[in-house]
Amino acid sequence: MAPSAAPTQVKEPFPISRIANRYLLFSIDIISHCRRNHNICGMLIGTIPNLSQQNVFLGIPLELMPEEARVLVEKGAAYIVDDEEVHRKTFGEMSREERLKWLEEVDKRGEEVTRGTENLKEMRKEKALKEKGLRRELLEKRECSVSESVASDATVQVEANEVSALGLGFIMKGSSFTDDSSIASASTVETALFDPRPTSPSPSAVSSTPKPATTQKHFVTPTTSYPPLPTPALDSNAQLPAVPKSYPLFRYLHSLGYYHMPGLRFGCHYNSYPGDPLRYHSHFAATGLGWDDEFDLLDVVGGGRLATGTKKAYMIGGEDASVVKKKASANAGAGLFSDYSQESDVREVRAFSIEWAAL
Amino acid sequence: MTSLALTKPAIVPAPLQEAFDALDSNSFDASHLPQLQSLAVQIQHNLQFQHYWADLHVHTHSPLTNEPLPRPLVSGLPPQRIYIHPDEQVELLKEADRKRKANKAAGEGSGLQVKAEPEREWILPTRLNEKWTLRRLAEVFDAITFVPSPPGTSASTSDRPENPWRTTKRLLLGTIDSDSTVVYYIVHDGVVKPRQN
Repeated sequence: MAPSAAPTQVKEPFPISRIANRYLLFSIDIISHCRRNHNICGMLIGTIPNLSQQNVFLGIPLELMPEEARVLVEKGAAYIVDDEEVHRKTFGEMSREERLKWLEEVDKRGEEVTRGTENLKEMRKEKALKEKGLRRELLEKRECSVSESVASDATVQVEANEVSALGLGFIMKGSSFTDDSSIASASTVETALFDPRPTSPSPSAVSSTPKPATTQKHFVTPTTSYPPLPTPALDSNAQLPAVPKSYPLFRYLHSLGYYHMPGLRFGCHYNSYPGDPLRYHSHFAATGLGWDDEFDLLDVVGGGRLATGTKKAYMIGGEDASVVKKKASANAGAGLFSDYSQESDVREVRAFSIEWAAL
Repeated sequence: MTSLALTKPAIVPAPLQEAFDALDSNSFDASHLPQLQSLAVQIQHNLQFQHYWADLHVHTHSPLTNEPLPRPLVSGLPPQRIYIHPDEQVELLKEADRKRKANKAAGEGSGLQVKAEPEREWILPTRLNEKWTLRRLAEVFDAITFVPSPPGTSASTSDRPENPWRTTKRLLLGTIDSDSTVVYYIVHDGVVKPRQN
């Protein structure tokens, strides 16, 4: 496997795009930054529009759960951007010069990609030749002779002689071809074989790229809007992502360093992993509840049994609103209610891990 | 009519019924509703006769505050250890491996013997048709000690567990259905990683 490129520095806070009430990340750098430094995985949802598939082979954008977006915003690591509005406004204001500059930039990227694929092709060709026991020089010489056949008479002669000595030798064996012109014509026949386009001494033939005519140009579709647009400004009035009632449990587990995946597969709200989900097995199937929400014991039995069967623990948890209030007032009047702040044992969020007793 | 009372009844009541009768006659406690008391007795009976638990007690008051518990709880000693924390299990296995090697060196061949002494546990009796909330579950946990001690003995002596791995409170949630099936689930007060089954 190729070594991954050094992570690009992501400046915090970074923008999270809100589009149709979904929280999306489009930049691969930000996505990897989230996973590396904030234990936020999200779900890749990008697919081919006319061949959508529900599998793991999906690409950017990355959709964040509202809880994940909220945690990032509350940490001050990110902020929410109403993408639709920003796009409408800023692209409308974009000047012609900026637009052309950006198009040029995209063109340049396309050329880079072309060069990259070209190099890859060369490498593959070389490998295949080596496997078959053929020498690369042979092919190279042929191609060189083809492209340079029009350059000058002198080189043509030399190349053609080499051609006859190496690859085309078997054709000319026995025949005493010493006439320069006939050899030259033979090499042009070769040209027609390898390159359907007639070679002409046009200036494009003398470009820095080895074979510009044979490869197709790539057109790059940018996946991010910032750039070309400048990163939108932090809007302090932007409201926090609306989160479900299970959010306190998510925030609590996230603060303990757990990674989370959606819990649908195990009939809960979150699957909590002690490390990166690609590396670790899930520890908890967690369901967040309100402090006074009633739950059925049958759900506890079902969740507990399923979780134990899949080497997890079922977890229920929630936030005690009264403790939050007490702590807030204790912090407000630090001197007056200092007894509360000293009670470190009082927990705002409580979680209960449930396992089958095998009894 | 004394002769009738002395004769053996035609139908002997079930042991559980006898336990209920005993509850009615002597130790009636006004702090809890009778159905909760009989529930605790039923769970106690199940543990004693189906799972061979020993030293079973019904607790009506919190060992920490001496206030009445949200409902009567049961405590008891299981025949084998009910819960081994995964980290403790690792330690126990290492210890067992060390002993096995020592035995081998001494010439006695023996397998890996993991020794985990049984520990006393709290049991929370519930009925399947009940609804619970996190608040009530938290209240139960707030009222119990780490390791139960028989009612009457002072709680302070055994508040801290002897087992260093027992760092969070835990209880056994015993849920009984109307067909008298009882299921038991371990509930930890906090984030406790699962066992490696």
